[in-house]
Amino acid sequence: MRAPIGLRISTRRKALRLSQAALARAVEVSPSYLNLIEANKRQVGGALLLRIAGELEMDIAELTGEAEHRLIHELVEAFSDPVLAGGKLGIEQARTLVATSPEIAQVIARLHRAYETAMTSADAYSDRLRADPLLSQLLHQVLSGITAIRSGAEILESVPDLSHEERQRFVGSINRETRGLSSVARNLIGQFDQTSSGGRFASARREVDDMIFAVQNHFPSLEEVAADRRVQIDREGPFGEETMAKVLDRDHGIRVQRSVASDTGRAFGYDSAARALWFRNTVPQSSRRFQMARLIAELTCADALEAATETLTLSSETARRGAKRYLGSYVAGAILFPYEAFLADARALRYDVDALSERYNASFEQIAHRLVTLRRAGAAGVPFGFLRADPAGRLSKHFPLPGLLLPNTGHACPLWAIYAAFRTPGQIVRQVARFSDGSRFLFVAKAVARRSSGFADNVPPHSILLVTDVLHADDTVYGDGLNLGDSRFDVPVGPTCRLCTRSDCASRQEDPWEPGGESAPPTLVLG
Amino acid sequence: MATDILIAEDEPSILEALSFVLQRAGWTVHAVTDGDAVMNAVRHASPRVLVLDIMMPKRSGFEVLKQIRGDADTRSLPVLVLTAKGQAQDRRVAEELGADSFVTKPYSNADVVDAIRKLLGEPAALAPQ
Repeated sequence: MRAPIGLRISTRRKALRLSQAALARAVEVSPSYLNLIEANKRQVGGALLLRIAGELEMDIAELTGEAEHRLIHELVEAFSDPVLAGGKLGIEQARTLVATSPEIAQVIARLHRAYETAMTSADAYSDRLRADPLLSQLLHQVLSGITAIRSGAEILESVPDLSHEERQRFVGSINRETRGLSSVARNLIGQFDQTSSGGRFASARREVDDMIFAVQNHFPSLEEVAADRRVQIDREGPFGEETMAKVLDRDHGIRVQRSVASDTGRAFGYDSAARALWFRNTVPQSSRRFQMARLIAELTCADALEAATETLTLSSETARRGAKRYLGSYVAGAILFPYEAFLADARALRYDVDALSERYNASFEQIAHRLVTLRRAGAAGVPFGFLRADPAGRLSKHFPLPGLLLPNTGHACPLWAIYAAFRTPGQIVRQVARFSDGSRFLFVAKAVARRSSGFADNVPPHSILLVTDVLHADDTVYGDGLNLGDSRFDVPVGPTCRLCTRSDCASRQEDPWEPGGESAPPTLVLG
Repeated sequence: MATDILIAEDEPSILEALSFVLQRAGWTVHAVTDGDAVMNAVRHASPRVLVLDIMMPKRSGFEVLKQIRGDADTRSLPVLVLTAKGQAQDRRVAEELGADSFVTKPYSNADVVDAIRKLLGEPAALAPQ
């Protein structure tokens, strides 16, 4: 892939204002022979090449083009890029350009490298944006507006015999849609302003959530290592606490201890200096099993966890730490609930979380979370979203569904089953929720509390919410007895007051957010 | 009375333009603007083709499609689904639920007309209008 040497000789000769005859004389060949060399019809090398290089005051490597090999290669790559492919440039043009205008060839190669870098980061951003539910709703509005405008404009342009009234109608509708689009655009811009002013930690957590959502909360590589670990543990004895404790002790010299109180106020922890995994006695068996599996995962799958974290392309160390912690728990879940067996049981029990809890000796939250991750291509379960709230209404652990708006911070809509569940702890609350865009979801929630360690111990429950599109509700036990086709008894909800458009809602706690500033709540007199 | 095309679309401006274009193409058109009304209209208007938007109030296009395919009377009704650009997931779901054809928003009016002609087995127009 070298620039033709003949062309290089003639370019340099002309730059020095030497005639072909003069150079031929100087290097002691006939002008016609030099002509053949310059036209690349004769090979040139050895002593003659050295003499030519000397006459042209060039380094021999420069003349033979060794240094430019890579540049030609880069140009060919750039020419084959889809954005330039239309130019139909190939290796010949690359050679010619490198031989005749090396500086310009350099600039093109550099531009192409910069373009590639920019495209890579644009891809990364678009991945992030795709994962944002509010943004996707706004984009839907944009697309609808454009569709109407395009369709109307085509009619105005291509139907010659429109009546005056018809013409007015389509012009009016284009005007209306344009105004609508303007307000969506303002909303979008406002959304970015608001997002960028968010706190650092919140944004790191949100980034992790977004990336987990982008890969559908399913990590094939981690499923694989988890399955391996499970096989290894099963070889040591019947799966359970005792066997996992044995593995921790034998392979890692770690003891599992039970105690009555802790100095830190925490219910369990790992003391790496003492090589002890300790639990208070109030910690239930399901949590102990989970923490043991998690410790085994973190100790034995470090490389896989590291690699999976890398694939999430996170921007900060805080986010990477958060992701690794999450993925450790993911592997623990996959060890405790092996994919195929768990999916088969979930289908057989029609996603009855409590029944699965009993079968697997696990908590409601562990099972609910594992259900969310059953997204293996070709062997996927019903798609679920997941959310957790504390009694103050604060949300944590967001795993949204496509099309479902889950607020990223603060509170959800007070009408959601996740809050109703606090009124009847331990009991399932179900609800068909309808959003103002018409989308309908089956909400299944349960409030659960940890065990109290005494009269003075405050044990606030937290509430777990599983969400599925109403479309899949009849595949679950929670759709039983509901007339899913009848939307009259749906609960009209929103994502959160700030993002909700229902003006007639008696439960509204906050005004809808509008770009451009806060509005004061109305008074009785002024309205 | 039988209708050629039933449109289920909630955006009034899109619906207005689409009805106009399809009527101009020579078909009779009936329209509904929410998911709940679709099944009723399918039963009463007996359309030859249903043009179904996915994002609709009350009941999504997916639910409607599932119900249409689950009902012996309506199972074989040709359904053209309107999806939004970039929503590959929507398209997959609609395919699984048995959609016959797709047009992606924002579309050109001729795209919709052509897709409906294909579903009806009618020859393409000789010249664009």
